[in-house]
Amino acid sequence: MDGPNVAWYIAIAAVLFGIGALGVLIRRNTLVVLLSLELMLNAGNLALIALSRHFHNGAGQIFALTVMAIAASEVCVGLGLVVALNRRNLSLDVDTLSELRG
Amino acid sequence: MTGGAWLCLLAPLVGTILILLGGSWLPRKFAAWTATASVFVAFGGAIWAFFGVRSAPPTPAGGLLPLQVPAPVPAHGELTTAWTWLQAGHFTVPLQLLVDPLSTMMMLIVSGVGGLIVLYSIGYMDKDDEERRYFAYIAFFVFSMLLLVEGGNLLMLLVGWGLVGLSSYLLIGFWHERSSAVAAAKKAFVMNAFGDATMALAFFILIAHTNSLSFNALSAPLSSTQANLIALGLLGGAVAKSAQIPLQTWLPDAMEGPTPVSALIHAATMVTAGVYLIARTHVIFQEARTIELIAAGLGALTLVVAGLIALVQTDIKRVIAYSTMSQIGYMFLGVGVGGYANGMFHLMTHAFFKALLFMTAGLAIHALANEQDIRKMRGLGKVMPFTKWCFLAGALALVGVPPFAGFFSKDPIIASTLNIGWYGYIFYACGIVGAFLTGLYTFRLWFLVFPGEPSPFVREHYHDHNGREGAWTMLVPVGILAVLATVGGWIQFPPLWEPITKWLAPVAPTLSVAEVSSTQEYVTSAVAVLVGLAGVALAWAIYSERKVAIPTAPFWRRLLEHKFYFDEAYNKIFYGPAVSLANGLRREFEDPIVLQTGPDLGETTLATGSLVRRIQTGLLRTYVLFLAMGAAGVVLAFLIAK
Amino acid sequence: MSGLVVASSAGNVLVWIVWIVAALACLASGIAVVTFSNPFFSALALIGNLGSLAVMYLLLSAEFVAAAQVLVYAGAVVVMFLFVIAYVGPRHETPWSGGPGWQTVGAVAAAGALLVEIVVAVGMQASGSLSHQTSVGTDFGTPGWIGRVFLTDHLLAFEITSVVLLVAAVGGVVLGSHTRRAT
Repeated sequence: MDGPNVAWYIAIAAVLFGIGALGVLIRRNTLVVLLSLELMLNAGNLALIALSRHFHNGAGQIFALTVMAIAASEVCVGLGLVVALNRRNLSLDVDTLSELRG
Repeated sequence: MTGGAWLCLLAPLVGTILILLGGSWLPRKFAAWTATASVFVAFGGAIWAFFGVRSAPPTPAGGLLPLQVPAPVPAHGELTTAWTWLQAGHFTVPLQLLVDPLSTMMMLIVSGVGGLIVLYSIGYMDKDDEERRYFAYIAFFVFSMLLLVEGGNLLMLLVGWGLVGLSSYLLIGFWHERSSAVAAAKKAFVMNAFGDATMALAFFILIAHTNSLSFNALSAPLSSTQANLIALGLLGGAVAKSAQIPLQTWLPDAMEGPTPVSALIHAATMVTAGVYLIARTHVIFQEARTIELIAAGLGALTLVVAGLIALVQTDIKRVIAYSTMSQIGYMFLGVGVGGYANGMFHLMTHAFFKALLFMTAGLAIHALANEQDIRKMRGLGKVMPFTKWCFLAGALALVGVPPFAGFFSKDPIIASTLNIGWYGYIFYACGIVGAFLTGLYTFRLWFLVFPGEPSPFVREHYHDHNGREGAWTMLVPVGILAVLATVGGWIQFPPLWEPITKWLAPVAPTLSVAEVSSTQEYVTSAVAVLVGLAGVALAWAIYSERKVAIPTAPFWRRLLEHKFYFDEAYNKIFYGPAVSLANGLRREFEDPIVLQTGPDLGETTLATGSLVRRIQTGLLRTYVLFLAMGAAGVVLAFLIAK
Repeated sequence: MSGLVVASSAGNVLVWIVWIVAALACLASGIAVVTFSNPFFSALALIGNLGSLAVMYLLLSAEFVAAAQVLVYAGAVVVMFLFVIAYVGPRHETPWSGGPGWQTVGAVAAAGALLVEIVVAVGMQASGSLSHQTSVGTDFGTPGWIGRVFLTDHLLAFEITSVVLLVAAVGGVVLGSHTRRAT
């Protein structure tokens, strides 16, 4: 079927990636940072799938599935960190975790 | 004969090296005897070279020898080359020695008198803390002086010249705990360095115009300006090294060194190097006759001024030092008017009697526990008769009383000034006045120190050396030199017999204007002797019999005691501005700028560091931001590269 | 033939409409994730984002991936997020506050730069070949096809993924366990 050609999908992926990056850099709540990270990963996935369709190469979809699995594991570990922080009554504000201050 | 020359040159060097390598493992006496033996071996080499030159057949051509020496040896000398030392294009300087009448004469004097003096120092420097260093230095000095006189080209001469200056510095400042000795050493070295500089400038001109530094280069055709400049530069070096006016102030201060050093360096050898230089390079001086006459004039001036200053000195060594200055003035006068043989002959006799005077003074100083003030030394002759008689021999030789050595050598110099022009009469007058002054100050010294009853000081402080006046190593050389001072002049008596003039004729012929008739010679001799004896008589009247009082004349006394204010003048002209310049530079430049760079660098680094530190915010977000920016930058770079 | 053409042109318009709606929803929810101050709402917005992405995957003949997206991402990952957000309690924080002043400016600049660069990079690489449609076979993207490819061509990826999942599970357990006080 006809529809938007691949370039449109790529554009959407790029914008989504930008939004996700902005979220990682701006937000102070750790959880929202992780959510923005998910946005970025998804943008990558979208690009992969689109190009896989265009070039008729299955590897793109495989890679996208792998990325999804990795994202899930990363979220698991990240949320474990958040829970551990919370259990020690540490703030979840990224700015307060500043022991690397020079 | 060239073997003799190399032996003569290298033996003292080997002595020095042995003593230096031995270091403190070497027994002191061993070091002392090594040095002495090396200098006597050098004397043997000098004799060998002398006989070699004497027996070489005469050459058909006169003048100096050619640069390239083919197999048949030219008569009046031989150039012997070790290797080419310096080469720059067509300019070469080989490491060479010249063995000819003039150099062998100097070799004999340096190694002979030097050997006696080194032997004397064994006794004098006994029990000194740093004996070995002394003997290493003095052997090195003998080597340097021999290099100077044996140098086969101007550069070798300059090397010897410089090394002699160095040895003098090391030996004057030998007792380096004494700040006066160190200051004197520096003064000597700096003044000598001035002379070195003028000589170097003269050499530059010579190289520029003749592309060579051999002695023959001096005979090359040069314009009169160039010849004058070269001669002036050489004269500057000679004046500095021989302590003539205006560069004479270092010599009295150099008496801070040990007495044998004064005897060897500042009487017999180093200070006479200037005379040797003029004799050796007389070709260029004859081209620049004005400069040569300036040399004679400086000599005449110095001999009078030094004689005057010697009249008020109270340190026994300083009297003899000013006497040296005065006698070298005579030598300059002699070579300046063109009588090179006269100057060299006086150099030889002066070496004998001046070394003798210094060494006998050293015997007195040693016996009185290093006291040098003559006002305390009255009546020394009663307890030290040998010293007294030897000193008398030296004093009579110095004044020029026949048959002692000085008579034969001094008078021809004075006489030779008669035919050169109106200024010759001035020089003549100076020479005669100088003879009077010599008699006066020498016998002032003798009458103050030796005759009469021993003073309380002498009675208290005199200590002999096992019943004798000194160790045998000190007495034997003094005795030998006393004999030489008496008979050493008999070798030449112009106009009757003149072996020395004939000997030196191939290399340093006397100028015809310096030749005088026999009548003039005899008359001059008579006048000089009478005038000298008059000086002796006056000294006897003032100092011994006390019939005549010392004239008070406070202005003159002050002037003489301040040595004509030369030191003060030089202080004001040179030292003062230099010091204020240095202080000014330090204040304006070094302290604020140079020394500040260290702290400034430190501060800058700290400031940069604290600037950069602001990146380390500690916030996770900023680090991620930097990551993102970095990633963007890298991708951009790649895109651009594409 | 003409019927097919009519049908296909009607289908084309439908595809476009679906695509536009999905794209707008995707972008809107993305912005929502980043801008809501309540993290709970951000997580809910993420669900919307994931859903719209699944729709777009369907348009791209990636049925299995779309299903996996909804099941795994929206179903498991986001639910985990919601659990943790509920556990840590309410945290309200305004998006643009705090940090050094240049942080915001720098962030916008960096994000924008990355965006532009992606477009440029892909555009340069592809250079026009992206503008025409290609056709794929009917079994492209089907679960059977995916499974076959996983177990033959891309077996390594499959195995590595399983290892990573194992590691993550272990990590999660370790991080979540009670701390043992060193007394």
